Amino acid sequence: MLKKGLIFGAVSLLAVSAVNTSSAAGGRDYISIVGSSTVYPFATTVAEQFGKTTKFKTPKIESTGSGGGMKLFCAGVGVESPDITNASRRIKSSEFKKCQDNGVKDIVEIKIGYDGIVVANSKKAEQLKLSRKDLFLALAKDVPDPKGGEKVVPNPYKTWKDVNPELPATAIEVLGPPPTSGTRDAFVELAMEGGCKKFDFIKAMKKSDKNAYKGICHTVREDGAYIEAGENDNLIVQKLDANPQSLGIFGFSFLDQNGDKIQGSFVDGQAPTFENIADGKYPVSRPLYFYVKKAHVGVIPGIAEFLAEFSSDRTWGEDGYLTEKGLIPAPAEERAKFAADAKGLTPLSM
Amino acid sequence: MEKQTPSTMDIVNRGLARRYRKEKQFKLLGLSAIIASLMFLVFLFGSIVANGWTAFRQGAIYLDITFDEQALQVENLRNANYGKLIKTSMAELFPDVSGRSQTRRLNKLVSSGAAFELQDMVLSDPGLIGTTKLVRLPVDDEVDMLLKGHISRDVPESERRISDEQIAWVDQLVEAGRLQLEFNTTFFTAGDSREPELSGIKGAIMGSMFTLLVTLALSFPIGVAAAVYLEEFAPSNKWTDFIEVNINNLAAVPSIVFGLLGLAVFLNFFGLPRSAPLVGGLVLTLMTLPTIIIASRASLKSVPPSIREAALGVGASKMQAITHHVLPLAMPGMMTGTIIGMAQALGETAPLLMIGMVAFIVDVPGSFTDPSTVLPVQIYLWADSPERAFVERTSAAIMVLLTFLICMNGVAVFLRKKFERRW
Amino acid sequence: MGMDTVLDMGDTFLTGKNTLGAIDSVVEEKVDREDRTTVGTQFVDDARMTCRDVNVFYGDKQAIRSVSIDVANNEVLAMIGPSGCGKSTFLRCLNRMNDTVDICRVKGEILLDGHDIYDKSVDVVPLRAQVGMVFQKPNPFPKSIYDNVAYGPKIHGIVNSKTELDGIVEDSLKKAGLWNEVSDRLDEPGTGLSGGQQQRLCIARAVAVRPEVILMDEPCSALDPIATATVEDLITELKEQYTIVIVTHNMQQAARISQRTAYFHLGDLVEVGATDRIFTNPLHQLTEDYITGRFG
Repeated sequence: MLKKGLIFGAVSLLAVSAVNTSSAAGGRDYISIVGSSTVYPFATTVAEQFGKTTKFKTPKIESTGSGGGMKLFCAGVGVESPDITNASRRIKSSEFKKCQDNGVKDIVEIKIGYDGIVVANSKKAEQLKLSRKDLFLALAKDVPDPKGGEKVVPNPYKTWKDVNPELPATAIEVLGPPPTSGTRDAFVELAMEGGCKKFDFIKAMKKSDKNAYKGICHTVREDGAYIEAGENDNLIVQKLDANPQSLGIFGFSFLDQNGDKIQGSFVDGQAPTFENIADGKYPVSRPLYFYVKKAHVGVIPGIAEFLAEFSSDRTWGEDGYLTEKGLIPAPAEERAKFAADAKGLTPLSM
Repeated sequence: MEKQTPSTMDIVNRGLARRYRKEKQFKLLGLSAIIASLMFLVFLFGSIVANGWTAFRQGAIYLDITFDEQALQVENLRNANYGKLIKTSMAELFPDVSGRSQTRRLNKLVSSGAAFELQDMVLSDPGLIGTTKLVRLPVDDEVDMLLKGHISRDVPESERRISDEQIAWVDQLVEAGRLQLEFNTTFFTAGDSREPELSGIKGAIMGSMFTLLVTLALSFPIGVAAAVYLEEFAPSNKWTDFIEVNINNLAAVPSIVFGLLGLAVFLNFFGLPRSAPLVGGLVLTLMTLPTIIIASRASLKSVPPSIREAALGVGASKMQAITHHVLPLAMPGMMTGTIIGMAQALGETAPLLMIGMVAFIVDVPGSFTDPSTVLPVQIYLWADSPERAFVERTSAAIMVLLTFLICMNGVAVFLRKKFERRW
Repeated sequence: MGMDTVLDMGDTFLTGKNTLGAIDSVVEEKVDREDRTTVGTQFVDDARMTCRDVNVFYGDKQAIRSVSIDVANNEVLAMIGPSGCGKSTFLRCLNRMNDTVDICRVKGEILLDGHDIYDKSVDVVPLRAQVGMVFQKPNPFPKSIYDNVAYGPKIHGIVNSKTELDGIVEDSLKKAGLWNEVSDRLDEPGTGLSGGQQQRLCIARAVAVRPEVILMDEPCSALDPIATATVEDLITELKEQYTIVIVTHNMQQAARISQRTAYFHLGDLVEVGATDRIFTNPLHQLTEDYITGRFG
């Protein structure tokens, strides 16, 4: 009998909550943010600060990846769709068009700063001085024939010394994110393609056969030298510590937090330091953005205030609290421009 | 010599040693399998506990805070500068510290959340203004890590996130008894946070609870009703076979598929709110239903037919025979199946990803429609955070999740023992 | 007692010389093994249940072939026969217990007090209240002794008050000869009793709904000899108030407790008659073979 009572209780509880839902779905009193997992640590920090210092509720932030975030963001206008999406790359014209088609007309673009992608190894091993060309030769599936000639062959390199005689004779073993990750996309585009272009005949292909060009420059080898270590960058850090031979690829913030265990390799003569990335000297860095749905400002409470919090210098400035979390601030002029955009809600045009 | 035919006993005796040897080998094999799995378990729990137990302690700093009327600008307590109170107090403790950057480094020892704690204190008791009080405040996660020995003092200063100077201050504070490790209550009373020292698991626990309540309230009655109908009432024909095959298949469908279904049906079609435990519970209901139906049918099948006959024999209707006799006997098995399903649901993240429950949510959810996350999602989010202090919190959250699972299994065993009847 | 006289007379009439002791000549006249038409006293005047041309099928397989028999008021009718002869199947037709088997179909006519129990308008629930059943293996509910007996009256709404229910429980347990053994522990589980006690509890449970007919399906096969003797005594006493149809493997038991015996052979009702007569002078060769232990 007791059981029956329990079940009835639970069912009625549910019925009551279902009734509540219908009224709750009518409005939303918190900001909903989706998007890139790279921007997630920064956006969450700002959101938390915002929730604590204002009368508004703490925004809800989902880590969906840049592409997934755009899809949700561009699905339409209304309380069910998110107000802001984070991206570790700029919005694509196709995505922008989709937004327009779905009635998401005015989108405000804010660049929040930069993120560096580092190639690092354990402190127990030697610090490497790599070039983008080295990275391409070591990690691409097909590379230009080492014997010469303008053709590509399956990657024959086994050790770093094979790639570049100045590097140590350790086996190539790189732990990195899987293809679903934005970090991987950025690494492939910035580091590998950067090295790939150093070969003239491949560079020439960009015009003649774009697909073949991409195929060579963007395809990571699958013979075990590149190990997909999952999206969890912490895990890569731990593995590097345990295995000094291998290298890892991840965002700068993880290097920043674990400077006592791992060291970043030089890329094209530049160490992955805060200053070098901020100055744009370090080649493997990318801008981070978020996009705001103008139609939601004033409907969902707190969006304008959230933008003000995000774009204040104490947040994203050189001494702002986001630098604590590993964000590389944008130059002052850029910050001023985007802060003005945030204030005036200047819509993006493409 | 005449060749004697061996007696049966001789033959048996000859083979006896071999038979016993085989038995012994078989027993050894089973034993080693058990030992191996126990070792894995011990290793797993060992590493989690070793990583995570320190998260239950947290560095706390004791400061004499003067709630200065002037500093607080009493007209608007919400926007007052509480950080200044802490800075003043720290400056009193370290009168030698001077200069802007050195002061900044000193003040970084205290958590950025400390100011909000002071704010809460003053807001709930404005009488504090004008008094001086010894207040316990959280320290920054770097200090916490240092106290717990997760940051080595031996590595060069440039590679630590905490400087030699700061270490010296920390040592001074420890010496003075103002800085020590204490039980981490924040971990159990706060929601998620980007600052490890302010983050807690309560939001996830409440989220899991609301989600599982919805799941239980729906999947148990529906599952049992479906099982009873299929087992006791449904005519055996192609349709019921078809349904049975489909239920068995559903039990093996990857859970992400249920998430996609939930996204399409509950969010897009019915327009239920994203990230809500209500929707999470609905999706997990879909996922656990096959498990519960299969377990319930098995336990209905295991009720001896003699009980049914006995009830029918005294003139009970089919319905009465089932509700009075068959169901009570099948109930322990059904409940076990349900709890196994619930435990499965408790550990699920994939389907929740699709409906927006993998999210950063600071506020502890208070109802079925508040945005919330669940325990395994919290574990996943923390595991992916760069701050080192989240490593131990990840393990601690796993310990909490495991505790939940063990409790649920305990309840399952208890219920089975309590309701089990012999026949 | 009058009943028995009628039956005996019937038998005497049919088997004529039997009572005169001319056994030898009778033996030679046995019905041939291949002939499966029922011989003996199938029909009685004051029948409680009347079965005519009953056929039972399990799917395509025929389990009972054209059985016609009456069950007289307040008699114990024993059904015997080798394993798989269909006696249990037939018994379970009498309160439509076979309805629970999906593939089972029953054809023919079974009347209880003149009403066809297989008629569409008949509800099995009241039918089973009228025709109770005791099963081969004691199957008390996993509840208290009291609840076991009280269950039937409760669901049928026979009683209005707790005192009335108490009365029925006590009365039923007394009828089942169990009251003295369990009166001080009615709230203990029925499953905790010994096998013989459990079976008597099941009889008490059947009696509690005040049935007219009680069907018993080998009620003693799972019991030891002492418990069996107790249950047999009980059946003899119950006969005063109820009509009892019992299936048994044990021919001595049939001889001890029944007034009439029916012999089933591979789905056919081969012979029916007064128990004394069947065991001393069977009319059918198959019956003789069975009771003399040639098979079965």
